[in-house]
Parts: sequence; C-alpha cells; structure tokens
Amino acid sequence: MTAGAPALDVDGLSASYGHLRALFDVSFSVDPGAAVALVGANGAGKSTVARVVTGLVPAGAGRVRIGGTDVTGRHAWEIARRGVTHVTEGRSVFSSLTVEENLVLTFRATLGRAGVGAALERSFAAFPRLGERRGQSAGTLSGGEQRMLALARALGSPPKLLVVDELSFGLAPVVVEQVYAALDRVRDEGCALLLVEQHVDRALRLADRVVVLRKGRVVADGPPAELAPKLDELVLGPGPG
Amino acid sequence: MTELLGYAIPGIPFGCVFALMAIGLVLTYTTSGVFNLAFGAQAFVSGLAFVSLISDGWPRWAAALLAIVVLGPAVGLALDRLLFRRVRTASPIVKLVPSLGLLIALPQLALIIAGSVPTIAPPALFLDAQRVYAHVLGVPVSGLELSIMVATAAVVALLLVLARATPLGLQMRAVVESPRLVELSGINAGRVGATAWVISSCFAGLAGVLLAPLYSQIDPQNYTVLLVWGIAAAVIARFESIPLALGGGLALGIGQQVLAGYLPPGVIASGLRPSLPFIVLLVFLPFGRRNRIEDPLAGCDPPPSTMVEDARRYRPASALAVGADVGTRAVGLWHRALGAGPSESLAARAVRRPTTVVAWTLAALAVLSALTWVPADWLLTMTQGLAFGTVFVSLTLLTGMSGQISLCQASFAGLGGFVAGQLATQMGWPVLVAGVAGGALAALLGVIVALPTLRLAGLPLALATLAFALLADNVLFPVSWLGDGASGVRLPRPSIGPVRFAAARPFFILALVLLVVSAGVVKRIGDGTTGRYLFAMRGSETAASSVGIDVRKLRIGVFAISAGIAGVGGALYGSLQGSLVPEDFNYEISLVLLVVAAIVGLGSIGGAVVAGLVYTTLQRAVATLPTRYAGLVAVLFGLATLSYTRHPEGIVDFLAGRFSELWARLLGALRTPGYGRDAPAPEPEAEPAHGVARP
Ligand SMILES: Nc1ncnc2c1ncn2[C@@H]1O[C@H](COP(=O)(O)OP(=O)(O)OP(=O)(O)O)[C@@H](O)[C@H]1O
Ligand SMILES: [Mg+2]
Repeated sequence: MTAGAPALDVDGLSASYGHLRALFDVSFSVDPGAAVALVGANGAGKSTVARVVTGLVPAGAGRVRIGGTDVTGRHAWEIARRGVTHVTEGRSVFSSLTVEENLVLTFRATLGRAGVGAALERSFAAFPRLGERRGQSAGTLSGGEQRMLALARALGSPPKLLVVDELSFGLAPVVVEQVYAALDRVRDEGCALLLVEQHVDRALRLADRVVVLRKGRVVADGPPAELAPKLDELVLGPGPG
Repeated sequence: MTELLGYAIPGIPFGCVFALMAIGLVLTYTTSGVFNLAFGAQAFVSGLAFVSLISDGWPRWAAALLAIVVLGPAVGLALDRLLFRRVRTASPIVKLVPSLGLLIALPQLALIIAGSVPTIAPPALFLDAQRVYAHVLGVPVSGLELSIMVATAAVVALLLVLARATPLGLQMRAVVESPRLVELSGINAGRVGATAWVISSCFAGLAGVLLAPLYSQIDPQNYTVLLVWGIAAAVIARFESIPLALGGGLALGIGQQVLAGYLPPGVIASGLRPSLPFIVLLVFLPFGRRNRIEDPLAGCDPPPSTMVEDARRYRPASALAVGADVGTRAVGLWHRALGAGPSESLAARAVRRPTTVVAWTLAALAVLSALTWVPADWLLTMTQGLAFGTVFVSLTLLTGMSGQISLCQASFAGLGGFVAGQLATQMGWPVLVAGVAGGALAALLGVIVALPTLRLAGLPLALATLAFALLADNVLFPVSWLGDGASGVRLPRPSIGPVRFAAARPFFILALVLLVVSAGVVKRIGDGTTGRYLFAMRGSETAASSVGIDVRKLRIGVFAISAGIAGVGGALYGSLQGSLVPEDFNYEISLVLLVVAAIVGLGSIGGAVVAGLVYTTLQRAVATLPTRYAGLVAVLFGLATLSYTRHPEGIVDFLAGRFSELWARLLGALRTPGYGRDAPAPEPEAEPAHGVARP
C-alpha cells in the first residue's frame, strides 16, 4: 500500500465478453475518500468497469490498482480482501440465506470471528429495518430492503473502496435518500466511492468527479459543476444535426 | 407385518448406500454444477482398496481409513483439479463426457494397479458381518446391516451439522446460489467448492466400502448398479435436496427388496427390479429443479459457447463435409490471400479447402490399401471400424447435430443386430433384408425412447437414456427371442444372388457402401432445411418452437433415424463377426461410444469415421498385450478426456482447423511476402464495440 496513491487507479483498461468488446482504453482514478460518479447511457459499459475493478470480469488489457497495489488478474475474493466492496447491479444478496447469515458470511471473511458481533450491530444500527428482519430469508425482502442489505455489508467495517452499481434503481424517493445518507456516512469514514448511476442528478450531488462513458470509452472526466450543463450531449453523443 | 419387515430390513443397508451415493452426487452438483458420474468408479476404487488391503493383512480400521478418508478425497481432488474445474460453466455434454470417461477408465486402472480382484469375502466396516446383534419385531438384524446403518446415520448427521452450524456450511450454501457473490464477500469460492468435492468423494468412498460386503465378491458391475440407484435417488431429490436424497435412497433400497420379495421369481421379477430406476427417472426427471434460484451475477459470463462458438463451428453445409474446414479465421485469411470470388474453378476450391482434399486423399488411400495389401487380421479391424463408424455416424446426427445426448446408442445397435440375427437364422430371411428390418425395428425403439423423454434435455436426457440402456441390458436382451442371454445369436454373412460377401474384401466393400449411404443420409439432413431446424433446436428448443418449428416431431424423427442407422451398424457388425452376444452392446459400450465420439469429434462425419477406426484399432492393439492390461483401452479413453476439456470440438476438427490455418498462412506468405509473420490478423478494431468482433 503506497501512501498518497489513489484508492482506485484504472489505466488503459479494455474488456470483452467472449467476442464482444465492451471497454476500450478506459482510464480514470478515484482519490482516497473521494466519490466518483460513472455515468453513461444503457450499455455504455459502466457495469463492466465496475466488474473489472472488482475482478468479476477479466481485464483484456490495462491495469487496475487499488491503493497503489496492482490487482489486475487477481481473483475477486483477493480483491475483496483488500478492502473493496461491490454492491452489484440487480439482486446482490443470497436469497436462500437469512439477513443475518448474509451479513455474517461477509463479516467473518473480512473481519474474522472476533469482529462479527460489532459489525452486525453497526449494520443494524444504520438500517434498523434489517435488524427487525434478521431471521427472515433475504429472498423474501422487498427490493429496497435487499438494496439496504447489500449496502449493509459495507457498513460493518468501512472498506477502502465501495463500488455501487445502480443503487437507487427501483427505489422509492424516501428510500433513495436513506441509502444515500448511508453512503455519505461511509465516505466520512474515509472510504472512496465509485458510483454507477442512471439517475445522474442524485449522484452528482454526492460526487467530486464525474467520468462519462460512451460505447465503452471515456469521453469526459471532470468536476460535476463543469460537466453538468453539457452532460446530456456527452452521454448521448453528438446529435444528428 | 413380519413378512414385510423381513423384506424391508435387508433393504435398508442397500438404501443407505444408495443414499450416500445420491448425497455425494447432489452435493457436487449443487456446489460445482458437475453431475459427477465418476463417483460410481470412485466408490469402486475405494471398495477395492479396502478389500485388497485387508486381504494383504492390514487391520480393518487402517484399511477403512485409507480407503475412505485418504484415497477417496485424493482421487476426487485430483479429478476436480485436472478436469472438472475447467468445465464448470460449459455445455451439458462437455460437462458429462469427462465424468463418463472416468467412470469407464478408473475401475480398469484400479484393476490394472491391483493386479487381481481379492478373493476373500469382503468384511463389514465394523462388527461381525454374520452375527445377529438384535431382533426388530422378530426380524434378525446382522452386524453387516447394523454397521451400514450406523455408519450412514453418523455421516449424514455430521453433514447436516456441518451445513447448518458451521461457517463452512454457510459458505457452501452460499456457493450453491452464486459463487461470484461469495467471492465478492472475500471468500475463495473455488476452495469452498473443492471442500464440497472432497466431502462428497468421502461419501462415494464410504458407499463403496459399505457396499462391498453386501456381495460375496467385489465386482465393478455392482458399483454401476449402485451408481444408477444413486442417480435415481438424486433425481428424486431434484438434484438439490440432501434430506430428499437420503429419503429417496432409503425408499428405493427398501422398495426394491420388498418388490423382489413379493413378486414371483422369473422374468418379471428379475426384469422389474433393474428397471425400477428407469421408471423412477421417467417419473421424476420432468420435475427438474423446482424453484431454483438464479445466480444474480450470471450476467458476468460471456454468452454461452453453444450460441457463439457453435454457430461458427457447425456451419451446416461445410462443417458436415468429410474433414470439415473449421476456423473462420483461417477462412478469412485464405479468402484474402486468394482474393477468391463467388465463382471459382475446381482447382481454386481445392486450394481453398485443403482439409477436404487431404481427407479424401487419405480415405482413398485407405480403401485402396484395404483392397490390395492389408493383411487379413488388420482388414478385419478396418471392417469393424467401418461398422462402428456407422454407429458413430448415428451419434453425429443425434448428439452432434441435434444436441440430444444419447447414452443408449449401443442398445439401438444391439437391437438391430439381434433382430437381424433372429430373422436370418430362425425365419430364414436373407441377411441383407434382415439387417434392414433390424434397422427398422431399432428406429421404432428410437421412437419409443424419444416419446417419454420429449420434455428432457441435457443432463436429464442423458440420465434417462442411460437408464434405458440398463433396462435394455436387463430386460430386453436376455430374452430368448432377442439377444438370448449368454448364448447370443448367430448372424451369417450375406449374399445377393450370385454375389457372396463371405470373403473379407467383398464384405469390406459392403461395409463401406453402408457407411457411405448412412453418412450421405446424415449429410443430406444436415445440409438441408432440416439441418437448420436441428441447429435451431440445438441452440434452444423454446426458441425453435417459437418460430414455428415442430420440435416434438423433429426430435422423434431424429431419434428414429439415428437409432435406425445405429441398428444397421449393429447388424453389420454382427454379420461381420458371425454372432453377437448382449455384452457386445451393453450400456458400457454406449458410454464408451459417446466418449470416443466426443473426443474424436462429434461435429463432423469425418470425425465419426475416424472414431470408428480409432476405436477398433486401439482395441486390437491392446489385445496383443497380456490379459492384465485388457482394460488399457478404457484407461486411454479416460486419459483422453484430459485433452477433451481443452478441445471440446474433438481431435479431428481441432487438427483440421490447425491445418487449414497453417495452410492459409502458407498461402498468404507465398502471395504477400512477410504477411504471415508480422501482420497476423489485421482486424478492423474501429468500432466493433457493440457488434461481434472476431478475434
Ligand atoms: N454477459 C454479457 N455477455 C455479452 N455482452 C455483455 C454482457 N454483459 C454486458 N454485455 C455488453 O457489454 C456492453 C456494456 O454493458 P454494461 O452492462 O457494462 O452496460 P451499462 O453501462 O452498465 O448499462 P446499463 O446502464 O444498462 O446497466 C453492452 O453492450 C452489453 O450488451
Ligand atoms: Mg449496468
């Protein structure tokens, strides 16, 4: 771990699914404790970036560094052990396990047996609703509660980097505020954030920087204030006219 | 009541071993996606080791320890590392073939290593097998039964505690749902899977050791029976529930003994008992895994290879030609090298399709040699190769082109042979006519197999056809008017009017003609509209039927034609040999056929022909070795699955692809100097982002 190194550094990344190339030479970085929003149209490659960063999809070329350490080609579990939590797009919990088992699974692996109790308490304090349903199987939770549970994995002990993909998808506005408040708190504890969002406005309020992807390439990278006015054009590409 | 108990209690030990087997199968299937049929072989290896060590004078506990907790997991772990780990996300057939190869190879390898089967009566795991320790409602319970029940109860309880009350159990339950999500929690899912694999290997080993004393001598045959009952119990458990696997195994064990007790002796009883697994499979398989939870992270995988790779590999017209030219990359390269246009001379086509030319040249040379200088014994081997080539062609149609995994192809071939033999010898029909009639009846049998399995695909279909093959072995072939048990049937060589095929060379020509005709039929089907329908069905039956293809009719038809071709091949083989016994076409041969076909190449007719020749030539070569090495062919096939996991397209297509590529590079180098070396594939990488980019 190099002092002063970015929490996440993505350098010249490309990735493919079989014969389908999804990313081309993507580079950006996230400073420690900073929040970066990754925006783009459907299919732009946002989730793919998140998956390559956390080791779910192999990088075809380029490097991924976490806190200065090269993790390209590492297994997802090794990257997770380095303090990276990934809340994936869609369902990101084990339906067949209970709420508590979902959390224990993560905490035991990352914090060891001794840390589990305290971490559980912190998670349930952040989302009391989960505490009430701790014995219920996660598959029977509502969509919003499942998102909370997925996020709660990061709350037990704040990771160095939290990657969140479409956190607010399908959530009621009140719940959106609740989960974003949780994100704020994690960030205050020094965790860097990589946020993938369709709902750009909400993400921009939190983010220090915005990276815009189009068809698998980075087309803009800068502070929200600077990019916000022309974001539509950046995301969708130059119009026909 | 006492009578019922008197039958039921001896059934419990059988039920216990079936249950252990089923639990092992379910555990690996849920945690790694592989249905490991090789557990049958692993059980045999452990059982053999246990009895061999004891007959060498080892104490019972040491032998048990070594066989169950050392050898069992060691074999399992090695197989996982070398083979199964590579195929976890592959298509059903790619997952199945390695386990089938091992199921055949491992027992033979163990027998070669052991040298001989120990002759002592296998002892129980603990206690005195013969002594009666207790009476339940007047029914005596022997030490054998008691030891099996206690051991099973203990390990099942241990497993349940492990699954419910330990971190490892939690991790295993999570891996069942999504290995990737487990990894995101910082847990090495591969290690969890390997642990599950070790545990289930212990279960298989224990089942093997416990089964041994239930028979007077250790015999691989009994372990296949164990495997089949275990499969039936795993199917009852819907491949997922360990308690149901336990219950199912027990129910089957007790059920089969009770049935055997109450039914009158004779064909019904001896036939009904072995067919029970088949009936169970047919009843329970359609239920599948009921409310199976999808892996939420399945979206990280590239699209399944059946859709992308196969679309390139199984080009209907060209790939089914003898010596298919695979490798679109190579096609592209030589197209460019030649500047080939749409219309071209024969010579240009020959240059463009180098493998076709080479394949036909080799084939012509082989035929010429066979007709001139090849000595009689090798000519026989070649003719046998042609007969089996016909059977392999039937697999190309059914499994290669249509994606229906058949583990009863030898049964079709056997039926064809037996019917032909009976008609020729009992009714005096001309042999050729009898052979055609045999093929027709085999086709009918194909329809009979296809009908109840219409809703099955992939692994369930493979299991159902395997159960059917066992049914045929136990019920159909032993009857006197068909296979006639051990004595078998005679089938003379045919003649048409004055032309007699009794001599070796005329018969070779006859076999060649029949092979070419069946290959032609399959090729026509593959090239025509039906071939495209089959290809669509192979990708997805639902999708195929949604565009108006009658999938049911197609499946029944393809089963019938394939079984018919196999039947003709069986008759041809029988006529060549002069007689047939049921062992020539038992279920084991069916497994070998599929394994060999897959290893050599299911994707092309050329592959089928080569498979036939390889199959018989290897057997002949091994026949010259001392008898101890009789199982060497099986071991070789098992080893070949190592290459198969790397090249599932099969050796023939792999070599053909390599060859065309080399050829294209050579041509390219000749045309444009330096081209082949420094600019291998100038792919337009401009914007293939959201389209298919060829590598
Ligand atoms: N498993 C897969 N197999 C093949 N192609 C895929 C796969 N997953 C994604 N893709 C393709 O990769 C490209 C990028 O997908 P990705 O999921 O990263 O987009 P995204 O920006 O997250 O879109 P969305 O906003 O809709 O979630 C898309 O063209 C998509 O079709
Ligand atoms: Mg996405």
